[in-house]
Amino acid sequence: MMKYIFAMMMALCCIGYVHAVERAPMKGGMDGRANHAALYDGSCTSCHGADPQKNVTDQTCVQCHGEMKKIQLDASRLPIPEANPHASVHFGEGASCLACHAEHKQKAPLCSDCHTSWFEKM
Amino acid sequence: MQNRRRFLMSTGLAVGGLACAVPTASAQCNENITWDETVDVLIVGSGFSGLSAALNLNRKKVGRILVLEKMQVIGGNSAVNGGWLAIPRNPIQLSQGITDDSPEDLVSDQVKSGRGMAGVENLRAIANHALPAYQMCIDAGVKFKDGFNIQVGGHNKARAIRTQHGTGGDITTKLYEVSKKEGVEYRLQNYVEDFIMEDGKLIGLKVRDGFRFPDMATGTVRYIRATKGVVLANGGFARNKELRAIFDPALDPTLDCTNALGATGEVTMTAMSHGALTLHMNMIQTGHWASPDEGGFGWSNALLSISLHEGMAVSVLTGQRFMDERQDRKYCSEKIMANRYSDGTPAYPIIFFSYNDHPDDDRVVRALRDKMAWKFDSIEEMAKKFNIDVVALTASINQFNQSVKDRNDPLLGRKMDTARELKAPFVASRMWPKVHYCMGGMKTDVGGRVIASTTLKPIPNMYAIGEATGGIHGENRLSSTSCLEGLAMGIVVSQTIVEDSQGGQA
Repeated sequence: MMKYIFAMMMALCCIGYVHAVERAPMKGGMDGRANHAALYDGSCTSCHGADPQKNVTDQTCVQCHGEMKKIQLDASRLPIPEANPHASVHFGEGASCLACHAEHKQKAPLCSDCHTSWFEKM
Repeated sequence: MQNRRRFLMSTGLAVGGLACAVPTASAQCNENITWDETVDVLIVGSGFSGLSAALNLNRKKVGRILVLEKMQVIGGNSAVNGGWLAIPRNPIQLSQGITDDSPEDLVSDQVKSGRGMAGVENLRAIANHALPAYQMCIDAGVKFKDGFNIQVGGHNKARAIRTQHGTGGDITTKLYEVSKKEGVEYRLQNYVEDFIMEDGKLIGLKVRDGFRFPDMATGTVRYIRATKGVVLANGGFARNKELRAIFDPALDPTLDCTNALGATGEVTMTAMSHGALTLHMNMIQTGHWASPDEGGFGWSNALLSISLHEGMAVSVLTGQRFMDERQDRKYCSEKIMANRYSDGTPAYPIIFFSYNDHPDDDRVVRALRDKMAWKFDSIEEMAKKFNIDVVALTASINQFNQSVKDRNDPLLGRKMDTARELKAPFVASRMWPKVHYCMGGMKTDVGGRVIASTTLKPIPNMYAIGEATGGIHGENRLSSTSCLEGLAMGIVVSQTIVEDSQGGQA
């Protein structure tokens, strides 16, 4: 199962979603990212481990997606090259995935606190 | 605060936690604490101060250094600041032929700006570590703008350099990466809920690991012991509107804030509850160079480094100049905020310069691109956009251009050496101050030791540096000096902790 999930994740990564990812109702009554559908077929434990009430950490993202700095973004969709959140001039390697990404709800990325015209909710 | 109490009531650890807040019960309470972890030094906050302290303590081989950051990113407000750094005798300044600057000259400007309330000895300790702070940045790989060293508000000399991308993030990212590589540990989403004291000494922290700002009901309680000290580098409280209003009721509640959202000051409040003396809490600085047409610190500050020097600011109500654009931020903030419609709402003044003097300048290009400034081909077009009387505006521009020619400003007494003749097309932006910096905070000695309110002596093992401290700048902090303060005090406090841990502290 994990192998299948991993392979699927890698395939989806290559499509290169940069901005809004579609959300849909998932098994278990939560909204989730459409590209994570297979993860919900397992159960909450795919991401949350033994305790579904417990928040995930960056490690949960990293185990499928790899390290942030190695995740390529579609540069043509950035307002300027320096606006790459995975290589931020403000935070560099010191950013949690969760600063910008959420699974069960839309979240305004941290950058949009100041750069109001640059990013969509994700 | 209420959320915090509710959280405490609902957890199994509430009893121990609450008992710790009662000083007389502290000894009894501490026996109940099971330390989850022990380090040598804990650092609260990961801005300039925390990063510099961590890097320097680690290089001094003080032991295991752990930095706690409550947000989901490293860098605090420093990561989003403007990256201006005042360094007397920096190499760019010297290459410009300015050879008569000195740390003492900087201190003298700061004392003047502090209007009698600055801590001269603290300022001196900071200024004397300016060059080492600069060198620390260079060694970590921080890049500054080539050949760029200018005179900013309230300084009598050009001594402010700026990072490559015009943000403190250029410094925080490098100090983070370098110090991490050298062995400093960093933890995001760690909220400090309380201090653990023993016989008046700070011995550890009660934290909530996995905290998700601003949800007070998140995170798991852990107790971390620090054998050699805790450095409070938690920054200011400019984002905390409730505190802001308590300390300075005159502060306009509608003012936006330049700071990162985490600048809420609760660690300083916790320090107060354990006896830290605080001062100047009502001295809250607004940045006059802000724009209502963008979030946070934004581009405005950089754009106005042109506008305030070369151009002119005009009231939309009268079409006339209303301030000496070269004065410091306190003066300018007050003048700008006086521009109000009859119902009290802001009448944002505009400030502009000649586009053709800087068509390719980054500061202009990005401001126009992100629509926080506009380009106008004529006075009429500009007057129409901002609903200004075109006759009055034309007369004001003519009068300004005469003052440029005469190098004399009879209207407002401005120093006209950098002012330029204004010709269309213009680059114009709107101005309204944002709350920017808290001069107040914990009282420390020159080494960064927090002073107790009861004894006026240092609280053992409690240190504070950077914006979390008070009484350094007095009434008004000068531009480009808080970056310096954080970086320099990180060096200073590391020396202090080495001394104290070797038995230097009484």
